[in-house]
Amino acid sequence: MNVGQLFKDFFAKNGIGLGTFLLVAVLFWVVILIVLPQLSMLDFSFRHHLPPPEMGGPKDTYTIEHYKYLVLGAPGADTSYNVVDLGVFGRTLLAALFVTILDLLLCYPLAYYLGQSRGGGAIRILVLLLIIPYWINEILRAFAFRIIFGESGLINEMMLAMGLISNPVDFIRANVALYAGLGYAYILLMIFPIYNVIESLDRNQIEAARDMGAPWWRIHWRIVIPYAKPGISSGCTMVFMLSAGALAAPQILGGPSSLWFTQIIYQWFNTGGNWPRGAAFAIVLLVTCIIIVLSMMRLFKVKIGDIGK
Amino acid sequence: MKTNNILLKFILAAYLVVFFGYLLGPLVVMSITAFNSPSFPKLTPWECLTFEWFDVLAHDERILNGIENSLIIGIGTVILSVIMGLAGALMLTQIWPKLRATYYTIVIAPILIPGVVLGISTLVFWDRISIMLGMSSGGILHNGIFLTILGQSTFIASYCMLVFIARLQRFDTGLTEAALDLGATQVQAFRKILLPFMKPAIGSAAVLAFLASFENYNTTTFTFGKFPTLTIELAQKVRYGINPSISALAFIIIVLTILGALAHEIYRRRQQLALANGAPVAAVSGGFQLPKIFRGNPAAIILVLLTLGGASTLWFAQSYSPDVCKMDVREQKRLIQEERIKAIREKRQLELQQKQHQGPDVFGGSKSAAPATQSPGKGAFGNVFDPGNLDKSGPGAVKPQEPTKSPGKGAFGDVFAPQNLDKAAPKED
Repeated sequence: MNVGQLFKDFFAKNGIGLGTFLLVAVLFWVVILIVLPQLSMLDFSFRHHLPPPEMGGPKDTYTIEHYKYLVLGAPGADTSYNVVDLGVFGRTLLAALFVTILDLLLCYPLAYYLGQSRGGGAIRILVLLLIIPYWINEILRAFAFRIIFGESGLINEMMLAMGLISNPVDFIRANVALYAGLGYAYILLMIFPIYNVIESLDRNQIEAARDMGAPWWRIHWRIVIPYAKPGISSGCTMVFMLSAGALAAPQILGGPSSLWFTQIIYQWFNTGGNWPRGAAFAIVLLVTCIIIVLSMMRLFKVKIGDIGK
Repeated sequence: MKTNNILLKFILAAYLVVFFGYLLGPLVVMSITAFNSPSFPKLTPWECLTFEWFDVLAHDERILNGIENSLIIGIGTVILSVIMGLAGALMLTQIWPKLRATYYTIVIAPILIPGVVLGISTLVFWDRISIMLGMSSGGILHNGIFLTILGQSTFIASYCMLVFIARLQRFDTGLTEAALDLGATQVQAFRKILLPFMKPAIGSAAVLAFLASFENYNTTTFTFGKFPTLTIELAQKVRYGINPSISALAFIIIVLTILGALAHEIYRRRQQLALANGAPVAAVSGGFQLPKIFRGNPAAIILVLLTLGGASTLWFAQSYSPDVCKMDVREQKRLIQEERIKAIREKRQLELQQKQHQGPDVFGGSKSAAPATQSPGKGAFGNVFDPGNLDKSGPGAVKPQEPTKSPGKGAFGDVFAPQNLDKAAPKED
């Protein structure tokens, strides 16, 4: 079957007008919005940082200076590696992993509970309550955490009033506010994939295991978790990617001494004014996240088709 | 066994409380701060009930402008991403099986790509295109609204596509085939069969797309150019100085969200009721039978209560003025301030007296030589150490007064001069 035949079949099935519309819309989306911008960013990240008039001129050659900069630091620096940026990069990934695990631990019991209790008005209200925070602007959610964790925020004032502490605790600097805010922001993306899967789990399996005398933790370990694996891994993937790529929460809740990798990218684009370098850093973030997610999927034997269900 | 059950239930209840406390607590706290009068959003100390932050919000040009931009961008994004998402979902059902997995990976990838990367790639790509075409930097390819719509649609279309795929899985292709057999054209079959079937999905995809566009920050922050959306404005406000008018905005958004969610819930209940009774939706929702919807429908009851509460609050806000309370608070603050100043003065005085006591010790070395000078010396210093003096002028201004009056000057020279004292003290310790 050759390509020409394929197109013929396609137009025969959809008619000329509809077929053209489908093809144009999909091609526009896939090629112009998804693929080409990524390729152009990749290309751009290998260019020198030049003023606009010199772009395309003789100086506009390929270079790996921006990637070199990320690993080795500015030429002539005291350290042989770019400790600052690499440190931030590593810390961002670790923190994103931490947030993911936190969310998983927090969400799994509720997802199980919701998934196993059949219908009922109370459950519906609970689901509604879950969704409402997700509709509130990301910035406003971060702002709420700042009110709570700020130096004169709710928790500090309460602890001061109760005499638990004598000086306000700087939750912002300790990144407590940041982790709480990030975990909060993506909690729904963890809960719904797991909930959807567990909902379809046959209850008889659990009852059978219980009848055979399995303790509750073994029921979870041997039946529920293996069954819910696609949901768990898709939730974890989304939370990890979104936390690692988060920008608003670190900007608002992050401590002054701890940057998020996206903030460095942001700085190269705005105050730093070095777009190719920002693009290079963004490529590094993208590739690393993809590698981590793919290897996690390989590890847990989950297909990409399971994501987004 | 039974105690075990009770314990389990207790743990479950505690867990639910903690979970939903974490989920809803921040929103509640933020909403309440919108009604407290301090200019930094705080829950404690509670000062005065006030509605002025809503007033401040209503007169904030930047916020209003941001809402306008957000609406324009939101509508553009909805149109573009619903069309692309629908086309993408239909394409998935027809694509060559070997390409299917690759195609699915590509169109689902934007959900997983960090928003920052999407924003950057959109910005870079269209910047290069515009350079290639030789367009000026003010052209449409640099227009913030254009770029933001494209950047957001890249991933929002994937969300829409997921919604459509879910719906399409229940579509019976036999229907379209039957229509074609009966002589309908392709377009007719699409318009009269498939589109009506997809209508609910199109509605929910549009709502989803609009919400996602409205609250997007990561992508927009690179592409907005001269057209900051509401989210961008909010972020800038939150980062560089905050006041409770943001809480007021949050409160409004939360209330709207709850109302929307409740309305949706009521609608679903009605539909279910209609299905259960075998009657069309209209029969259940008729005006005459309205009270019926309250039966077994807590959402409707909550909605009505909320509306009543909102109306009475509005009425109250019209007549209420926090000025008196504010004056009180100001007065209290002034008193506290005064007390603090007083306390600081007393503390200084105390410190001073201690210094005075230390004075003779510092001169310990010369004590034996001139015990008699101590009292005249003290007399001379008495003036200098006067707390009032120090309070006003600090140690620096004390110096010039001192030597002229000191009777001990002849014997000790400058030994007693305070500046000496300062220098000498550490050495003698």
